[in-house]
Amino acid sequence: MLSRIAESFYWMGRYLERAEATTRLLAEHHQLVVEDQSVEFSLAAGVLVDALAISSARPTTGEHLARLVIGSPSEPATISGAVSAARDNARSVREALSSDTYESINAVQILLARGFGRGTSPGVALHRLLERLLVVNGVVEWTMPRDEAHDFLVLGRELERIDMMGRMLAMRHDLLWPTIGPAAVLRACGGLSAFLRTGEPSVGEKVRAFLVLDRTFPRSMRACADDAEQAVRALASSGVSDGGQLLSEVGMLRSNLEYASAGQPGVVDALIETAAAAGARAADLVNAAYFRQHGTIVWSH
Amino acid sequence: MTAVTSTPAAFDEMLDAGGPRAADEPLLAALERLGPDGRAERARQRDAYLDRHGITFTLGERERPLPMDLVPRLITASDWAVIEAGVAQRLHALEAFLADVYGPGMIFQDRVIPRSLVTTSTHFARQAWGLRPANGVRIHVSGIDLIRDEAGVFRVLEDNLRNPSGVSYVLENRRTLAHVLPEIFADYRVRTVGEYPEHLLDALRAAAPTAGSQPTVVVLTPGVHNSAHYEHAFLARHMGIELVEGRDLYCRDSKVWMRTTSGPRQVDMIYRRIDDDYLDPLVMRPDSVLGVPGLLNAVRANTVGIGNFVGNGVADDKAIYPYVPAFIRYYLGEEPILENVPTYDLTDVDQREHVIANIDRMVVKPADASGGYGLLMGPSASEDQIRATIAALEANPRGWIAQPVVRLSTCPTVVGDDGEMASRHVDLRPFATNDGDRVRVLPGGLTRVALVAGSLVVNSSQGGGSKDTWVLEDSAAPQVEAVPVVIRVAPVSAWLPARPNAVPSHNDRLAQQERQQQQEAQPDVEPEAGAATDATGERLAEC
Repeated sequence: MLSRIAESFYWMGRYLERAEATTRLLAEHHQLVVEDQSVEFSLAAGVLVDALAISSARPTTGEHLARLVIGSPSEPATISGAVSAARDNARSVREALSSDTYESINAVQILLARGFGRGTSPGVALHRLLERLLVVNGVVEWTMPRDEAHDFLVLGRELERIDMMGRMLAMRHDLLWPTIGPAAVLRACGGLSAFLRTGEPSVGEKVRAFLVLDRTFPRSMRACADDAEQAVRALASSGVSDGGQLLSEVGMLRSNLEYASAGQPGVVDALIETAAAAGARAADLVNAAYFRQHGTIVWSH
Repeated sequence: MTAVTSTPAAFDEMLDAGGPRAADEPLLAALERLGPDGRAERARQRDAYLDRHGITFTLGERERPLPMDLVPRLITASDWAVIEAGVAQRLHALEAFLADVYGPGMIFQDRVIPRSLVTTSTHFARQAWGLRPANGVRIHVSGIDLIRDEAGVFRVLEDNLRNPSGVSYVLENRRTLAHVLPEIFADYRVRTVGEYPEHLLDALRAAAPTAGSQPTVVVLTPGVHNSAHYEHAFLARHMGIELVEGRDLYCRDSKVWMRTTSGPRQVDMIYRRIDDDYLDPLVMRPDSVLGVPGLLNAVRANTVGIGNFVGNGVADDKAIYPYVPAFIRYYLGEEPILENVPTYDLTDVDQREHVIANIDRMVVKPADASGGYGLLMGPSASEDQIRATIAALEANPRGWIAQPVVRLSTCPTVVGDDGEMASRHVDLRPFATNDGDRVRVLPGGLTRVALVAGSLVVNSSQGGGSKDTWVLEDSAAPQVEAVPVVIRVAPVSAWLPARPNAVPSHNDRLAQQERQQQQEAQPDVEPEAGAATDATGERLAEC
């Protein structure tokens, strides 16, 4: 397949995941800072803006925080930016997408462009947005053939999940809101019920270990590394490219997470940092392996 | 503020003669800013949220959302300190009473309460005599109903020591309100309630008789048709434990087992939400299909714990209630922090005659019922109802109690669909858990509100709603002002093939030329018209 097409699928996967994960995180974080004012507001709201590397502005109200993170199409770290970029990528591979997929992405874009109407609370608005984003992911999963394009999309999605998980865990909800912070983090990635079924107490340390190392929860860093590795292997076996250094980077990350022993204090924190860095390196290697094998040829005038 | 007026005589939670109380001022101002239309709009968003999340209770075969008011009820830190201490004190006394009643019976010998009054309670469980729970706790969860009288004093209206329900609404109300009305939180520091399931699980684990760090705890529900099934599922989910029905459990070798796909698994602790009578058909009601045959035998063998314990109903019997202050003095040697509502003992002839003569100013309640069923509200009852109730209490004075009507406190409430506010009567059910070491009272609790104007009956089964209840943080409590660790994150990775930012000039030109090409081929199509383009494409193909 064309490198350009593959790249668009990869970035579509990344941006759709970023939009969804950011929306969920913002919704939960907003709810948390409203419910629990034990942390000074500009700090409580500011950690999210920092973790997403959005801007240096300090949010002053819950609504302001929501506005900053929903952002605008020109800021790729914001929800609007991610949706807009996902749509641009989808547009450039439109012929290869089911019409339902393109339609569902457009619906999100339209919702963002129109706004949510006066008198709608941020919580309600974000929920509406999240619903639309979930539809996109559902349509993609149920209409896309399981071919190379899908592998690229999955690879993008999983690397983005690792990145977003690292950002969320960097916010240290567990230290700022020791009582209800850990549950908020779990809700922010849809993992509260899954975690509680493990029977562990919802204290920061256990929750962080779960989100990094759990085998069965699909958004844990380990599960994402596993899925990313499989996508790279699938691409290699379909003859695209053996991925070279990429496979070893992703495979090392997966096995680090798989065989880590969470017992010692500090192990999980160290793993979060190395995983986030490995994820970023993998993203560069994806670029080199599939999209820019020969570098960019520049013609001088 | 014309819409909000306080009902005469009742204490108003938010307004005194001169306007809003100091703590309530910012809240009422924020609600005022929304205006009736804004409030009506948020009420619609709230209903959509409750429906979508399936936060319901079942009444008469129909599942419906528990009406939740948009106006929270505020409790100051100093008021809460009294409630917290009073509830804990009362529970310690009630625990001691239960241990005594099902054990040595010292209180009867010391003539604090007649033995006959206790043994004639419909909830006195002979089967539980001599049983002692593993860590001594029988009331793992309680819901003690409080009201605020005309002078603004909190009093205990009744004790619920069997299966107090409603705590799931406390947690959901908070989330719902923060979801649809975040702006009213801005001026307050409200104590959180989200940690309750953890406290409950702590209390249940601590009560498991079998040693071990992780006892198997389950929630036993009558099934999906029970009015509180939503709550049973909620608690099981939030504690991360199994929700079981009677048929999922069986007893063998005096142990309780759960049927699982990987074979039988022993159960150490059962948080049961079914009544005593149905627990074990071998020793309780033989026709029960909800319980587990042999369960009591296993309890006796001390292989399984039950929360709340068997026979607690004797302590929340309404005819025992007038004696609770005496229990506090007798067992703890303390004066009650929270007082009772004055109550007439109808087995006493003089008191009974006084009640019958003044019945239009009395509330008459069956001693063994809850949920507001069978209750007579003197001032608003019809002649027929009064005649029937008098006949019933003369026939069985032990089965009834009477109290002078207390005008419950009122609180501004959004009524009707147009967002207007008016005063409605409220009560309060704080929930407390006991793990044997300490009683923890969940800050707040369930405020129930009578949605009918002037009504004093707040039970959800009788058309009541609920309010989020805010216990305000002590103003001296410090706020966290610094992140304890450094947040280190990379900038987000970004790549936009359609309008890349890496080599701007070149790519702008690319995009521009692409656009020109497209214009020659066909008119530019607005992105929003995606579906329409596809339709056009198909039409062309058909030609």
